[in-house]
Amino acid sequence: MFKELNPLLHSELRLRIMSILISVEEADFVYIREKTGATAGNISVQIEKLSEAGYIEVSKGFLGKRTRTVCKITEKGVNAFEEYVEALKSYLDIKGR
Amino acid sequence: MNEEASLELISQMIRNSRRKLEDANGIPFLIWGYTTFFVSLMVYFFINATGDYHYHFLWFLIPVIGSIGMAVSKQSKAKRAGHAMNFIDRVMRNIWMVIGIASFIAGVGAFLVRFPVLPLMLLLMGIGTTLTGLTIKFKPVIISGFIGMASCALPFIIDGNGQILVYGVIYLMMMVVPGHILNYSGRKRHV
Repeated sequence: MFKELNPLLHSELRLRIMSILISVEEADFVYIREKTGATAGNISVQIEKLSEAGYIEVSKGFLGKRTRTVCKITEKGVNAFEEYVEALKSYLDIKGR
Repeated sequence: MNEEASLELISQMIRNSRRKLEDANGIPFLIWGYTTFFVSLMVYFFINATGDYHYHFLWFLIPVIGSIGMAVSKQSKAKRAGHAMNFIDRVMRNIWMVIGIASFIAGVGAFLVRFPVLPLMLLLMGIGTTLTGLTIKFKPVIISGFIGMASCALPFIIDGNGQILVYGVIYLMMMVVPGHILNYSGRKRHV
Protein backbone atom coordinates (compact mmCIF):
# COMPACT_ATOMS: atom_id res chain seq x y z
CA MET A 1 0.00 0.00 0.00
CA PHE A 2 1.26 3.47 -0.92
CA LYS A 3 1.96 5.89 1.90
CA GLU A 4 1.09 9.45 1.05
CA LEU A 5 4.08 11.67 0.21
CA ASN A 6 4.20 14.81 2.34
CA PRO A 7 3.48 17.62 -0.19
CA LEU A 8 5.51 20.09 1.83
CA LEU A 9 8.64 17.97 1.41
CA HIS A 10 7.85 16.72 -2.09
CA SER A 11 9.24 19.86 -3.69
CA GLU A 12 12.77 19.96 -5.03
CA LEU A 13 14.17 22.98 -3.20
CA ARG A 14 12.44 22.27 0.12
CA LEU A 15 13.71 18.70 -0.01
CA ARG A 16 17.25 19.97 -0.73
CA ILE A 17 17.09 22.30 2.25
CA MET A 18 15.75 19.59 4.57
CA SER A 19 18.40 17.10 3.38
CA ILE A 20 21.15 19.60 4.23
CA LEU A 21 19.68 20.36 7.64
CA ILE A 22 19.24 16.69 8.51
CA SER A 23 22.96 16.09 8.01
CA VAL A 24 24.30 19.12 9.93
CA GLU A 25 23.20 20.52 13.29
CA GLU A 26 22.76 24.02 11.89
CA ALA A 27 23.50 25.90 8.69
CA ASP A 28 23.35 29.55 7.74
CA PHE A 29 21.61 31.06 4.73
CA VAL A 30 24.82 31.45 2.68
CA TYR A 31 25.74 27.78 3.22
CA ILE A 32 22.26 26.65 2.12
CA ARG A 33 22.44 28.92 -0.94
CA GLU A 34 25.88 27.55 -1.88
CA LYS A 35 24.83 23.91 -1.48
CA THR A 36 21.45 24.20 -3.23
CA GLY A 37 22.55 26.59 -5.98
CA ALA A 38 19.15 28.31 -5.74
CA THR A 39 18.48 32.06 -5.66
CA ALA A 40 18.30 33.90 -2.33
CA GLY A 41 14.67 34.94 -2.92
CA ASN A 42 13.55 31.41 -3.66
CA ILE A 43 15.35 30.01 -0.62
CA SER A 44 13.78 32.67 1.63
CA VAL A 45 10.28 31.68 0.51
CA GLN A 46 10.91 27.96 1.07
CA ILE A 47 12.58 28.52 4.45
CA GLU A 48 9.54 30.53 5.51
CA LYS A 49 7.22 27.66 4.51
CA LEU A 50 9.31 25.05 6.35
CA SER A 51 9.49 27.29 9.39
CA GLU A 52 5.70 27.88 9.39
CA ALA A 53 5.20 24.10 9.32
CA GLY A 54 7.47 23.82 12.37
CA TYR A 55 10.01 21.69 10.48
CA ILE A 56 12.87 24.12 10.99
CA GLU A 57 13.83 26.85 13.46
CA VAL A 58 15.16 30.10 12.08
CA SER A 59 17.21 32.52 14.15
CA LYS A 60 18.78 35.81 13.16
CA GLY A 61 22.14 36.99 14.41
CA PHE A 62 25.17 38.96 13.34
CA LEU A 63 28.48 37.98 11.79
CA GLY A 64 30.59 41.13 11.91
CA LYS A 65 28.34 43.86 10.52
CA ARG A 66 26.19 41.51 8.44
CA THR A 67 23.00 39.87 9.57
CA ARG A 68 23.14 36.10 9.59
CA THR A 69 20.20 33.72 9.32
CA VAL A 70 20.77 30.33 10.90
CA CYS A 71 18.46 27.35 10.31
CA LYS A 72 18.12 24.21 12.42
CA ILE A 73 15.89 21.21 11.84
CA THR A 74 13.35 20.53 14.61
CA GLU A 75 12.25 17.16 15.99
CA LYS A 76 9.00 17.55 14.06
CA GLY A 77 11.07 18.16 10.93
CA VAL A 78 13.20 15.05 11.53
CA ASN A 79 10.06 12.93 11.99
CA ALA A 80 8.47 14.36 8.84
CA PHE A 81 11.65 13.72 6.87
CA GLU A 82 11.87 10.11 8.10
CA GLU A 83 8.23 9.50 7.25
CA TYR A 84 8.81 10.99 3.80
CA VAL A 85 11.76 8.66 3.16
CA GLU A 86 9.70 5.66 4.38
CA ALA A 87 6.90 6.66 2.02
CA LEU A 88 9.37 6.94 -0.87
CA LYS A 89 10.68 3.46 -0.07
CA SER A 90 7.16 2.02 -0.13
CA TYR A 91 6.64 3.49 -3.63
CA LEU A 92 9.94 2.09 -4.87
CA ASP A 93 9.30 -1.35 -3.27
CA ILE A 94 5.98 -1.66 -5.06
CA LYS A 95 7.47 -0.46 -8.35
CA GLY A 96 10.34 -2.94 -7.98
CA ARG A 97 8.05 -5.97 -7.63
CA MET B 1 9.82 15.08 -9.38
CA ASN B 2 9.41 11.28 -9.23
CA GLU B 3 10.32 9.00 -6.31
CA GLU B 4 13.72 7.92 -7.69
CA ALA B 5 14.69 11.55 -8.31
CA SER B 6 13.67 12.45 -4.73
CA LEU B 7 15.82 9.70 -3.23
CA GLU B 8 18.75 10.62 -5.47
CA LEU B 9 18.40 14.26 -4.48
CA ILE B 10 18.37 13.39 -0.77
CA SER B 11 21.47 11.21 -1.00
CA GLN B 12 23.26 13.80 -3.14
CA MET B 13 22.62 16.60 -0.62
CA ILE B 14 23.64 14.40 2.31
CA ARG B 15 26.82 13.40 0.43
CA ASN B 16 27.63 17.09 -0.17
CA SER B 17 27.15 17.95 3.49
CA ARG B 18 29.15 14.93 4.62
CA ARG B 19 32.01 16.18 2.47
CA LYS B 20 32.20 19.04 4.95
CA LEU B 21 33.50 16.52 7.49
CA GLU B 22 36.48 15.86 5.25
CA ASP B 23 37.08 19.56 4.75
CA ALA B 24 38.83 19.93 8.12
CA ASN B 25 41.28 22.73 7.49
CA GLY B 26 44.58 23.50 9.11
CA ILE B 27 44.06 27.26 9.43
CA PRO B 28 43.36 27.28 13.22
CA PHE B 29 46.50 25.20 13.83
CA LEU B 30 48.52 27.61 11.68
CA ILE B 31 47.12 30.70 13.40
CA TRP B 32 47.85 29.44 16.94
CA GLY B 33 51.08 27.65 16.00
CA TYR B 34 52.73 30.58 14.20
CA THR B 35 51.46 33.10 16.78
CA THR B 36 52.93 31.09 19.66
CA PHE B 37 56.19 30.52 17.78
CA PHE B 38 56.74 34.21 16.97
CA VAL B 39 55.67 35.41 20.44
CA SER B 40 58.14 32.88 21.96
CA LEU B 41 60.90 34.32 19.78
CA MET B 42 59.95 37.86 20.89
CA VAL B 43 59.91 36.93 24.59
CA TYR B 44 63.23 35.09 24.23
CA PHE B 45 64.86 37.95 22.32
CA PHE B 46 63.71 40.76 24.64
CA ILE B 47 64.54 38.92 27.87
CA ASN B 48 67.94 37.89 26.53
CA ALA B 49 68.70 41.39 25.33
CA THR B 50 67.49 43.32 28.39
CA GLY B 51 67.30 40.81 31.25
CA ASP B 52 63.93 42.37 32.14
CA TYR B 53 61.47 39.61 33.08
CA HIS B 54 58.51 41.95 32.63
CA TYR B 55 58.70 40.91 28.96
CA HIS B 56 56.92 37.74 30.05
CA PHE B 57 53.76 39.84 29.79
CA LEU B 58 54.20 39.51 26.01
CA TRP B 59 52.81 35.97 26.34
CA PHE B 60 49.37 37.56 26.61
CA LEU B 61 49.73 38.62 22.97
CA ILE B 62 49.02 34.97 22.06
CA PRO B 63 45.32 34.93 23.02
CA VAL B 64 44.85 38.44 21.57
CA ILE B 65 46.47 37.78 18.17
CA GLY B 66 45.08 34.23 18.01
CA SER B 67 41.50 35.30 18.74
CA ILE B 68 41.63 38.12 16.18
CA GLY B 69 43.09 35.73 13.59
CA MET B 70 40.40 33.14 14.27
CA ALA B 71 37.60 35.73 14.06
CA VAL B 72 38.91 37.11 10.75
CA SER B 73 39.38 33.61 9.30
CA LYS B 74 35.89 32.50 10.40
CA GLN B 75 34.27 35.63 9.03
CA SER B 76 35.96 35.44 5.62
CA LYS B 77 35.11 31.74 5.29
CA ALA B 78 31.48 32.35 6.27
CA LYS B 79 31.19 35.21 3.75
CA ARG B 80 32.56 32.98 0.99
CA ALA B 81 30.88 29.63 1.59
CA GLY B 82 28.52 30.12 4.51
CA HIS B 83 28.70 28.31 7.81
CA ALA B 84 27.29 25.02 8.96
CA MET B 85 27.99 23.17 12.16
CA ASN B 86 27.86 19.42 12.53
CA PHE B 87 28.49 17.19 15.52
CA ILE B 88 32.26 17.06 14.94
CA ASP B 89 32.48 20.87 14.70
CA ARG B 90 30.68 21.14 18.03
CA VAL B 91 32.96 18.55 19.71
CA MET B 92 36.06 20.38 18.43
CA ARG B 93 34.74 23.77 19.49
CA ASN B 94 34.10 22.44 23.00
CA ILE B 95 37.50 20.71 23.25
CA TRP B 96 39.35 23.91 22.34
CA MET B 97 37.12 26.11 24.46
CA VAL B 98 37.99 24.02 27.55
CA ILE B 99 41.71 23.85 26.63
CA GLY B 100 41.73 27.62 25.94
CA ILE B 101 40.14 28.49 29.28
CA ALA B 102 42.46 26.09 31.15
CA SER B 103 45.52 27.61 29.42
CA PHE B 104 44.41 31.14 30.20
CA ILE B 105 43.86 30.28 33.88
CA ALA B 106 47.29 28.58 33.98
CA GLY B 107 48.90 31.60 32.27
CA VAL B 108 47.39 34.10 34.68
CA GLY B 109 48.12 31.78 37.63
CA ALA B 110 51.80 31.62 36.68
CA PHE B 111 52.05 35.38 37.17
CA LEU B 112 50.54 35.14 40.63
CA VAL B 113 52.22 31.99 41.90
CA ARG B 114 55.55 30.94 40.44
CA PHE B 115 55.36 27.51 38.85
CA PRO B 116 56.71 26.05 35.59
CA VAL B 117 53.86 26.94 33.26
CA LEU B 118 55.48 26.05 29.91
CA PRO B 119 55.33 22.25 30.47
CA LEU B 120 51.71 22.55 31.57
CA MET B 121 50.86 24.56 28.41
CA LEU B 122 52.56 21.94 26.23
CA LEU B 123 50.63 19.18 27.95
CA LEU B 124 47.30 21.01 27.53
CA MET B 125 47.92 21.88 23.86
CA GLY B 126 49.20 18.37 23.21
CA ILE B 127 46.00 16.91 24.68
CA GLY B 128 43.87 19.29 22.54
CA THR B 129 45.80 18.45 19.39
CA THR B 130 45.63 14.70 20.01
CA LEU B 131 41.88 14.82 20.71
CA THR B 132 41.40 16.86 17.52
CA GLY B 133 43.37 14.30 15.51
CA LEU B 134 41.39 11.41 16.98
CA THR B 135 38.08 13.20 16.33
CA ILE B 136 38.82 14.03 12.69
CA LYS B 137 40.69 10.71 12.28
CA PHE B 138 43.86 12.28 10.90
CA LYS B 139 47.11 10.53 11.85
CA PRO B 140 49.61 13.43 11.42
CA VAL B 141 47.59 15.49 13.93
CA ILE B 142 47.38 12.57 16.39
CA ILE B 143 51.16 11.99 16.16
CA SER B 144 52.02 15.68 16.55
CA GLY B 145 49.69 15.89 19.55
CA PHE B 146 51.54 13.02 21.23
CA ILE B 147 54.87 14.68 20.36
CA GLY B 148 53.58 17.84 22.08
CA MET B 149 52.52 15.92 25.17
CA ALA B 150 55.77 13.95 25.33
CA SER B 151 57.89 17.08 24.96
CA CYS B 152 56.34 18.72 28.00
CA ALA B 153 59.32 17.39 29.94
CA LEU B 154 61.84 19.28 27.76
CA PRO B 155 61.54 22.69 29.47
CA PHE B 156 62.49 20.93 32.74
CA ILE B 157 65.65 19.55 31.15
CA ILE B 158 66.78 22.81 29.52
CA ASP B 159 68.05 25.56 31.80
CA GLY B 160 67.38 29.27 31.56
CA ASN B 161 65.79 31.15 28.71
CA GLY B 162 66.62 28.41 26.22
CA GLN B 163 63.42 26.69 27.31
CA ILE B 164 61.38 29.58 25.81
CA LEU B 165 63.03 28.98 22.45
CA VAL B 166 62.44 25.21 22.70
CA TYR B 167 58.81 25.89 23.62
CA GLY B 168 58.33 27.86 20.38
CA VAL B 169 60.02 25.19 18.27
CA ILE B 170 57.78 22.47 19.77
CA TYR B 171 54.76 24.48 18.56
CA LEU B 172 56.18 24.37 15.04
CA MET B 173 56.14 20.57 15.26
CA MET B 174 52.89 20.25 17.19
CA MET B 175 50.71 22.73 15.28
CA VAL B 176 52.36 24.32 12.24
CA VAL B 177 53.49 21.08 10.57
CA PRO B 178 50.13 19.24 10.97
CA GLY B 179 48.31 22.47 9.97
CA HIS B 180 50.16 22.55 6.65
CA ILE B 181 49.65 18.80 6.14
CA LEU B 182 45.88 19.21 6.78
CA ASN B 183 45.68 22.06 4.26
CA TYR B 184 47.71 20.13 1.71
CA SER B 185 45.51 17.04 2.00
CA GLY B 186 42.39 19.27 1.80
CA ARG B 187 43.64 20.87 -1.43
CA LYS B 188 44.51 17.44 -2.88
CA ARG B 189 40.94 16.19 -2.24
CA HIS B 190 39.46 19.14 -4.08
CA VAL B 191 41.65 18.76 -7.21
